[in-house]
Amino acid sequence: MENNIKRIGDVVKSVANQLGGRRVSRLYTRLMNRIEVLPDDKFAYLMLTPAFILMTIIAFWPITYTLQMSVREDHDIETVGEFVGLENYYKILTNDANLLAPFFDITQPFYSSLTVTIIITIGAVVLSMVLGFAQALILNETFKGQSVMRVIVILPWAVPIVIQGMIFRLMFTPGAGVGVEWLDFLGFANATSPLAYSRESTFIVILAEAWKHSAFVAIILLAGLQSINRELYKVADVAGASRWQRFKMITFPLIIPAIFVALIFRTIESMRIYGTVVAVSGCGDVTVLTCSVINEFSRHNYGTSSAVAVILALIIASIVAVYLTRFAQRGGISQ
Amino acid sequence: MGDVILENIVKQYEDVTAVENINLNIKDGEFICLVGPSGCGKSTTLETIAGLTKPTSGEITVADREVTYLPPKDRQIAMVFQNIALFPHMNVHDNISFGLRLRNFDSKEVKKRVENAAEILQIKEILDRMPDELSGGQQQRVAIGRAIVRDPEVFLMDEPLANLDAKLRVHMRTELQRLHKELGTTIIYVTHDQAEAMTMADRIAVLNKGELQQIAPPLKCYNEPANQFVASFIGSPSMNFIEGKIRSGGFESTHINVDINIGNYDDLSIGDPITLGVRPEDVYPKSNSPEIQSQSDPIDAQVDVLEPMGDEIFVYLRLNVGAEDGPTVTETSSADQLLMSVDPDSDVSTKDNIELVIDREKLHLFESGNGNAITHGIGEQTALNQNR
Amino acid sequence: MKKYNNIADKLVKSSIANPERIYNYLLYISAAFFSVLIIFPFYFLFVVSITPQHGLAEVRYLPTGFQWENYIDTLEIVPLHQYILNSIIIATITTVFVLIVASLAGYVFGRFKFKGRGVLLVAFLIITYFPGTTYIIPLFRLFTGNISLFGLATPDLYGTPWPVVLPLAGITLPLATFILTVFYSRIPDGLEDAARIEGCTRIGALFRVIVPLSAPAVATVGILTFILVYNEFFFSFLLTDSSYNNWAPLVHGIQMYEVTTVRGSPYHLMAAGSILGLIPVTVLVFLGQKKIVSGLTAGALKE
Repeated sequence: MENNIKRIGDVVKSVANQLGGRRVSRLYTRLMNRIEVLPDDKFAYLMLTPAFILMTIIAFWPITYTLQMSVREDHDIETVGEFVGLENYYKILTNDANLLAPFFDITQPFYSSLTVTIIITIGAVVLSMVLGFAQALILNETFKGQSVMRVIVILPWAVPIVIQGMIFRLMFTPGAGVGVEWLDFLGFANATSPLAYSRESTFIVILAEAWKHSAFVAIILLAGLQSINRELYKVADVAGASRWQRFKMITFPLIIPAIFVALIFRTIESMRIYGTVVAVSGCGDVTVLTCSVINEFSRHNYGTSSAVAVILALIIASIVAVYLTRFAQRGGISQ
Repeated sequence: MGDVILENIVKQYEDVTAVENINLNIKDGEFICLVGPSGCGKSTTLETIAGLTKPTSGEITVADREVTYLPPKDRQIAMVFQNIALFPHMNVHDNISFGLRLRNFDSKEVKKRVENAAEILQIKEILDRMPDELSGGQQQRVAIGRAIVRDPEVFLMDEPLANLDAKLRVHMRTELQRLHKELGTTIIYVTHDQAEAMTMADRIAVLNKGELQQIAPPLKCYNEPANQFVASFIGSPSMNFIEGKIRSGGFESTHINVDINIGNYDDLSIGDPITLGVRPEDVYPKSNSPEIQSQSDPIDAQVDVLEPMGDEIFVYLRLNVGAEDGPTVTETSSADQLLMSVDPDSDVSTKDNIELVIDREKLHLFESGNGNAITHGIGEQTALNQNR
Repeated sequence: MKKYNNIADKLVKSSIANPERIYNYLLYISAAFFSVLIIFPFYFLFVVSITPQHGLAEVRYLPTGFQWENYIDTLEIVPLHQYILNSIIIATITTVFVLIVASLAGYVFGRFKFKGRGVLLVAFLIITYFPGTTYIIPLFRLFTGNISLFGLATPDLYGTPWPVVLPLAGITLPLATFILTVFYSRIPDGLEDAARIEGCTRIGALFRVIVPLSAPAVATVGILTFILVYNEFFFSFLLTDSSYNNWAPLVHGIQMYEVTTVRGSPYHLMAAGSILGLIPVTVLVFLGQKKIVSGLTAGALKE
């Protein structure tokens, strides 16, 4: 590896020599020497500069820009309208904004979108946590075919969202999908053409999310399980604990931190769901909050769009805050 | 040439001063040992010479060039580390030639130098191996090979033998001395082991709490320690210290009085608190004391514990024999104890009451407050004093 | 019938004698159950992908025909290979970019003490909490050249790989930096010091000693970043147009099927296209499963 790097370095050097002659390589040496004599803290800041330039362009600046736009009026022609204070927020929260109309209650677009988002989040998070936990428990045992199962468990995590959507779309398409029969069996009213209806589509989105994301939960919880000191189980065995008692008294309490980590990440991800919805059913049937943001954006209502985005960010932040305080109360914070 | 000069080097971390105003003037080809207890600043001093740490103030000159703020690579130094620090992803050859390749030496020259170094260090057969396939001694040789192959002006060594087992350590000591003779390069060697320093160094620099205590050849540090710290740090077992005061006739303490012609010493005046130092080997039982000119007055003592070491015996003595029913060990304060080393054939056994004499030429006097040495050796007992 | 009774009898007896045995059976049964649950959607996708169009209505659990030409035909409706290639190139550029930037950042976060280290690390962390919706509008305007900075319009990057590469590099950077910080900090100080004494600069020591010694971690970060970028939907979808000539990634390729449903409902071709799109990540998962597990856990549990 070191040799390869040197070889690449040599090639770069010789190319540089041919292109700009000695001058370039001398400049390069001078630059490197200039960097080398910097004291440690200045060197550290210099090394972090690329990362922070990127973060500024991609994150810090856009956040402030979005905040600014959210307090400005929507404007048809000009991109930035007049300063209107919190009026956009007020309109959205009092159902005065003309957001994409979701299925629950057309007169309350924002709250309906929020409800859909939360239903999907609760459904997908609970399902993926349960499935992921079960997979982690299985993978924590030693058995033949373990490594095969580990690959199988990871696979859905690596599936592109758009293909995840396509798979579930096909499964529940009348005339091709096997899922239609399942829904019929489960007693859904609109089973024959589920993706044309909001309730069924939401359910399918939840299934697709649980399928893809239980892998992440399984990986995190498996790490938690494997960090448990094996000696504890020996102690429990000597004390005559049953399998269930061992699980209840040792395993579960000790992986609570891992459960919280998985829960936080999964919740954040689910609250900002977009791709799966678009790929499975489209924003018209399952109008999550991100759909509202993008819809307003595509209608050039930058003010309203930004305000919804900020509200969504605040909701996610408050959920994370609730989790973290709960976690702290349980005395489970490790750092 | 490979001179190293440190001028007023200070290194402060946020709230600790690691190095306090150190001045060193190391000549080309010298083998210098920096010794001191852990935390005395010896490693920090070495790191400032290496360029791995920048001093808070002061100036460092290596090979007639000011290098205080130069990066390590531009200092014409090589270094051997305590944890050996071979690159685990390169074989022995690549480890040794790493610095040469970085400096774009042509491959013929690299080959010549690596082979030469391998010859000196007797590691020719293992050039293809990876570091984790080598024994501790071999790894250390490779690390030294990596240092010598670049032909630097100065070698820096940070406790290079500390991680080796005792036997190998003694062997590597002689190897290092041989290497130093062969190459003639300046070596600055950090160790906490005073025996290592005594055997190898041309001069020893003793550090304590970030300050330089003394820099002198090993025997001078041993015979004429600049202060009480050096006296106690150099030599094993440690020097005996007896606290007392100057009276008109000389030194006076609870159990030991020594006649001193205080007129000979400007620094001494009656009433001064003084610490008397004497090494265990300079204390003798009166019965078989050698023919020394300058014996002190006899001192009464009782043998407490014997520690036979093979080539000598350490005798722990109690001086408060006057007390009626001999006090128990726990009640004995350090002022009442003295350590003596005698030949293994000496006839001493526990509970013996014996008379001791001290070689006055080998006595050391220190100021009790700051520990600075006043004099080493106080000469023969004069008639004047004897008549007292 | 008697034979079966015998077997059942034996099973019960041995299970009573050895309860571990029952537990093992349960373990295998549940492992099989979950494996089937996870595999089934892939299996179904595959079955549809080889079914002729006239057989689609009958497809349930077994293929109703084998028409491998679907994999060729699908490329005629949508030039998916172009989109896949775009995605691979975008993911590769992003991965290389992230590895370099995160290596520099991980090096100083992991091995240097400097003022503001904690604050800067937290600033990195916070980014992962924000939903993409809070960035998308400014970024869209930025990349379409509608933002002026000091009176100069920003370059119009729409239709180049950068509107996808830059946001995704930004989003994957914190995870990459954290993993590398953890691993770089574990390299013993002595090795870095030795490299610098031997003649490396600090940057030289990073790339000649620390990075090669952390090769497994670097590979982990590489694989994770590649997969995350290849899979991404939000920015990939919204910051590009749908033309593969304009660097549109896989997202648009698959979405094209929705637009180009000229010949009825070519579900079999959609499925075949999806299978093709899965190939790159599937290969990576098989090659790097252990690294993915260690990378995700290191990243998530550290935070």
